[in-house]
Amino acid sequence: MESDTERIRSEIRAFIVDSYLLGDESVKFADSDSFMSRGIIDSMGILELVAFLEQHFGITVIDDEMLPTNLDSVESLVGFIRGKSGC
Amino acid sequence: MNLDQFLRQSSDSYPQQVAVIVQGRSITYRELGDAADGLANNLRRLSLGDGARVALLLENSIEYAIAYFGVLEAGLVVVPLDTSANGDTLRFILADCGVKALIAQSHFRRQLKVIFEADCGVEVLLCDSILDLGSPSLRALVFDQALQVEQFDVSEATPSSKAPDAISLCRFGKLHELAAIFYTSGSTGVPKGVMLSHLNLVSNTLATIEYLNLSRDDRTLVILPFYYIYGNSLLLTNVACGACLVIDNRFMYPETVLNTMEEQRCTGFSGVPSNFMILLGRSTLASRQFPHLRYFTQAGGAMAPETTKKLMEVFPDKEIYIMYGQTEAAPRVTYLPPPRLAEKLGSIGVPLAGISVAIMDEQQQELPVGKTGELVVSGDNVMMGYWCQPDEEQEVLRDGLLFTGDLGYKDENGFLFIVGRKKEIIKTGGNRVSAKEVEECLIANESILEACVVGVPDTLLGEAIKAVIVLKPGIELERKGILLHCRRSLADFKVPKIIEIVGALPKYKSGKINKQLLKEGSA
Repeated sequence: MESDTERIRSEIRAFIVDSYLLGDESVKFADSDSFMSRGIIDSMGILELVAFLEQHFGITVIDDEMLPTNLDSVESLVGFIRGKSGC
Repeated sequence: MNLDQFLRQSSDSYPQQVAVIVQGRSITYRELGDAADGLANNLRRLSLGDGARVALLLENSIEYAIAYFGVLEAGLVVVPLDTSANGDTLRFILADCGVKALIAQSHFRRQLKVIFEADCGVEVLLCDSILDLGSPSLRALVFDQALQVEQFDVSEATPSSKAPDAISLCRFGKLHELAAIFYTSGSTGVPKGVMLSHLNLVSNTLATIEYLNLSRDDRTLVILPFYYIYGNSLLLTNVACGACLVIDNRFMYPETVLNTMEEQRCTGFSGVPSNFMILLGRSTLASRQFPHLRYFTQAGGAMAPETTKKLMEVFPDKEIYIMYGQTEAAPRVTYLPPPRLAEKLGSIGVPLAGISVAIMDEQQQELPVGKTGELVVSGDNVMMGYWCQPDEEQEVLRDGLLFTGDLGYKDENGFLFIVGRKKEIIKTGGNRVSAKEVEECLIANESILEACVVGVPDTLLGEAIKAVIVLKPGIELERKGILLHCRRSLADFKVPKIIEIVGALPKYKSGKINKQLLKEGSA
């Protein structure tokens, strides 16, 4: 279970760094940092993030799940994916 | 009537009415009026000089509303700043129009640090907390939630300094004085300061209220930034009629915004095409009822008629206003009356009361019905000019007429249709971007030999920025490297969405790049 959490966390972080920070490792963000407050993702970017979650983790994100509590930090994403995929 | 009197009137007439709500916080018109008075008094004590410019680096908030009206009430000129712009661009703007004081929120510290790395002429910073910006000559004052500056000592006020090149405040009477400067992308790539008078903004606000039938019973959901002229129009129209502004800055999560719209019983929603695309494509908008909602407004670039049709199908009982304007027109020029929407789909409608739109040819002769030419606007809403850019101004403003750069025609009923643009400006997600500015940024990369930037149709953004690039011989550079280079010097919305690396750019015999071919994707 611990390794599942770590794998999800690292895959999400890699996607965020690669897609939104364009591989710029100098931008530091904590797992609990809000993407919205930090200006890491915008309204277009969130659609890309959802597409990634659906393709990469094989889950379906329904419209009314697109909320900050589910998607706005690495921490909340890990919890959301684990809850959806049952891992 | 001056712009700041909108708030004074509503404060006197509807003191207990809620003016602004932001996630649990609210302020009544009386409180907003009092706070603006207090800020105006503090600003007067700074003796910045009549007509001095005061910039705002604030997200949509109660503080923004207080600051905006406080600055105007003090007889100063408000310069709203794009909070997504990088520090270098902001420093350029502050220096360009000689801003004396900056009102900012501390969470923009990253930009503030860059702004104050070099002298930009700003003497006073009003901020919600103390920041170490390493600028010893800067006078920093801290304000509270009502934007009141505590322990303000008048003896510390800076000496009176007449703004060097401010538009004279006495020349025309206050209605014709400069009220605000909004910066927008110029075709040359250098930001242009659009100077709007009290008359420009007052007349456009009143005409907009009239066709939207806005009243104090309205509650408008605001997701568009106030620094953007469309957002500014929401601020002014709602305050002028004593309506309530319900601010939600979380459009990134559309469900959150829809929940706010429902819970706050909003009567109006205003967006740019991408907002409607996202709401219709990736939210529960269509399955909700919104019994209190009366209308939608859309501006900020052409929305695909298919999207408008979908909105009409989902909400047959709501009024949908398709509108057209530009910053230089303060901003609204035309609207399509909702009862004519189905019949005139694709049209930008008819001019607002007091505004005329003519279709003109290159010789400035008015063209007959059905003939395509440039949309030329006249009326009290037409800007005073561009701040210290007479050449750019001369291109668009002649004999009191505003040459919009948009090409279109008028039908037999006087309804206007836009078919293209004269200038190389890309309208993406409600923003105007100069193709030249992006090209110059790309060319600054030492690996790039040639670059050409065009706007291509995009379902979400209206237009997407496409860059076609030729690399120097023997150089290998990936798309990601190019994007990273752009992100370092351009605001996010100016970064190309599509990048194509080609061996050569298509050119005419004259050597000029064939941009049309690039738009069509045949590079």
